[in-house]
Amino acid sequence: MGRPRTAVFLCNCGPNIAGAIDLDIIAGQLASRQDVAVVERHALLCSPDGQQFFRDTLQNRQVDNVVVVACSPKMHEKTFQDLAGEAGINIGHVQMANVREHCAWVTPDKATATAKAQLLINAAIRRSLISENLEQRSMEVNTDVLVIGGGLAGIEAALTAAAAGRKVTIVDREISLGGAVIKTEEVAPSLECAPCLLAPRLAAVRDNSNITVLTRAEVTEVRGFYGNFTVRVRRQARAIEPSCIGCEACFEVCPVTVPSRFHLGLGTHKAVYTLFPGSVPAAAAIDKSACRHFTDGTCNACVEACPFGAVNFDQPDDESEFAVGAIVVATGFSSWDPRSISALGYGTVPDVYTLPEFERLASSNGPTHSEIRLRDGRAPRSVAVVHCAGSLRPDAIPYCSRVCCLGALKVGELVRKQIPGATVTNIHHDLVLTTPREQAFYRRQAHEGTRFLACTDLAAVQVRTGDHGIRVEGPGFEPVEVDMVVLATGLQPAAGTRELAGLLNVELDADGFLKPDHAVLHCTGASLDGIYVAGCAAGPCDLPTAVTQGQAAVGDAISKLMPGRRINLEMMTSVIDADLCAGCRLCKAACPYKAVSFDRERKVCVVNEAICRGCGTCSAACPTGASKARHFTDAQIHAEIGGLLHG
Amino acid sequence: MAEFEPKIVAFVCNWCSYAGADKAGGQKLAYAAQVKLVRVMCSGRVDPLFVMDAFRQGADGVMVLGCHPGDCHYRAGNKKAQQRFRILSRMLPQFGIESDRFRLDWVAAGEAERFQTIANEMTDRVRALGPLRIRGYVAKEVA
Repeated sequence: MGRPRTAVFLCNCGPNIAGAIDLDIIAGQLASRQDVAVVERHALLCSPDGQQFFRDTLQNRQVDNVVVVACSPKMHEKTFQDLAGEAGINIGHVQMANVREHCAWVTPDKATATAKAQLLINAAIRRSLISENLEQRSMEVNTDVLVIGGGLAGIEAALTAAAAGRKVTIVDREISLGGAVIKTEEVAPSLECAPCLLAPRLAAVRDNSNITVLTRAEVTEVRGFYGNFTVRVRRQARAIEPSCIGCEACFEVCPVTVPSRFHLGLGTHKAVYTLFPGSVPAAAAIDKSACRHFTDGTCNACVEACPFGAVNFDQPDDESEFAVGAIVVATGFSSWDPRSISALGYGTVPDVYTLPEFERLASSNGPTHSEIRLRDGRAPRSVAVVHCAGSLRPDAIPYCSRVCCLGALKVGELVRKQIPGATVTNIHHDLVLTTPREQAFYRRQAHEGTRFLACTDLAAVQVRTGDHGIRVEGPGFEPVEVDMVVLATGLQPAAGTRELAGLLNVELDADGFLKPDHAVLHCTGASLDGIYVAGCAAGPCDLPTAVTQGQAAVGDAISKLMPGRRINLEMMTSVIDADLCAGCRLCKAACPYKAVSFDRERKVCVVNEAICRGCGTCSAACPTGASKARHFTDAQIHAEIGGLLHG
Repeated sequence: MAEFEPKIVAFVCNWCSYAGADKAGGQKLAYAAQVKLVRVMCSGRVDPLFVMDAFRQGADGVMVLGCHPGDCHYRAGNKKAQQRFRILSRMLPQFGIESDRFRLDWVAAGEAERFQTIANEMTDRVRALGPLRIRGYVAKEVA
């Protein structure tokens, strides 16, 4: 075998290149080079005619490497790689010299441009001479899906995947599904009943044989990569067997009452409880920290009361491991706690509530069975709603949660429906209502009696006990005194989001929500292949968005992970030569994807090429040259540097 | 004698800075023809030895351009680059290379004008420094 032979194609690109660079001079010089076997020129190489010409030329001439002197590789590298592949030349041997964007278009003087183009082409030829094959490798995949979080987004994600025949596991920390939506009574602006909205979806989850629901459960470990994750889930025993139908017979006899997290502390449940009748799963659970069987062993009442023999105090916690191909994070949000800003009166002035608390008071599955009541049991005659409580300020939530305004408008609707003659005043600055329906909802609330007071600085609002009730004052409006204050609090990342992101090896944004792979083009992808994000885990969003994202995330996942189809791996990965590796592990520390591991037996580092994305950061860190970034090897880059500097 | 025209090699990441240079081309924003680019997938791929090799082979100035901090296509490769080149910048004078002959900076895919500005500024700065002389010889003449 002789010296590698390179074919160089010069594209006129109409007048774009040929008008700015003297391609005749260039072609003449190339013809005299020993390392160039073929020099061809075409008016427009990416045209159908040009592509045919390119492929035919390569098929008819014996060449090893191809240099395409044309536009940016971002435009047509793949085009010419594929064509070369059809002509039997490995795509690793195709090199672009970008003389259009980086020369012809930015160098007005033709002689100067021609001289620069010569160097760019020279660098590409020198690089091509030591180019190496790139192999397309693929792997088998698991097509099952894990959904973390059983709220609206998670439920829709699970149902979408199950409809495609995929096995889905939903993991939720709570004892039953429904997330934040199930805690509200009506969704705005449609005013549809939220539990009624969710009930058929919950039933569909329950009845779908492709879906497994793990409640009181948390993901504790995630290993592997896209298409081949192994997840470990720890499930806390509920001490009630699945034969429980949620009949509530045990509730009456249980002697222990505990504050209900589901009711946000505004109500209580027994130590054996369900969140609401008709929950999925239907089975009750026992709060072991309160139940007298577990605290002092003195009570057995629920066992005796249960008609199904479902109580099982000995039920163990369990841990299970299973494989999935993709993971959807739909862990929702937590509501901002206003205690940190004392001027808002929360926790010190009775009858100051957060918006989610107000929603609980208005909910049929809430502590007051949907009666909006003050702490003393009276119905409020007047309610003030403070918008942006804690939002848009650096000491609390620096951003706008964009859904609280709509929730704040709903207060008037719910209060007037229940308490004729009650007044509702919304104290606001901007009103973030982003659809025509939301704006119509606002106009209707204003028409039906909600008073809107524009405050010039919501960060300066004071809520305190006044002469005739709770006094709300602030810049730009006359103070009001009311029976009840509702703080429209913003949305924060759900508790545990940071830990979960650590387990999954995905990034968070500046506010602590999961960062999308791409904010526009791949907004339901997290920053690692195979991990998706839907709903408020990605940042505050409204319900239609949560649903759409749940469906979109799964749509993307299942269209890439098809049963029986292998997925292609990144070709330009790094690879470590075990003979050169000194085992220093600098590459392992440098890898942004944890794709490098240390083989303790052989004392060398190894790249998992299913995880590697090909950035080459490890290769730059390697002191011995053992780590090779495919297609961007040290030798190729040194050759390119030399080519650019010596004509 | 013609005015000295410095040779500048810029290592640019595929996703941000190379794309920024492409956009400068698309907008026909002319910049110094002495600036020539080496594409790498990530600024984290740039081994400090590449920079030294560029000086050795005759570059009068070298740049490494990546995605803005926080925007790295590969999460944090640019952060690695930042750490490495902070050290290199401090070592260059020990090799007799003025630290102004090296520049690490960030150009986003949309920042065509920023690319043009950085390319021209670097060229002017290196032109003012004159040809690179390492330990008494003019590197350019080695070629």
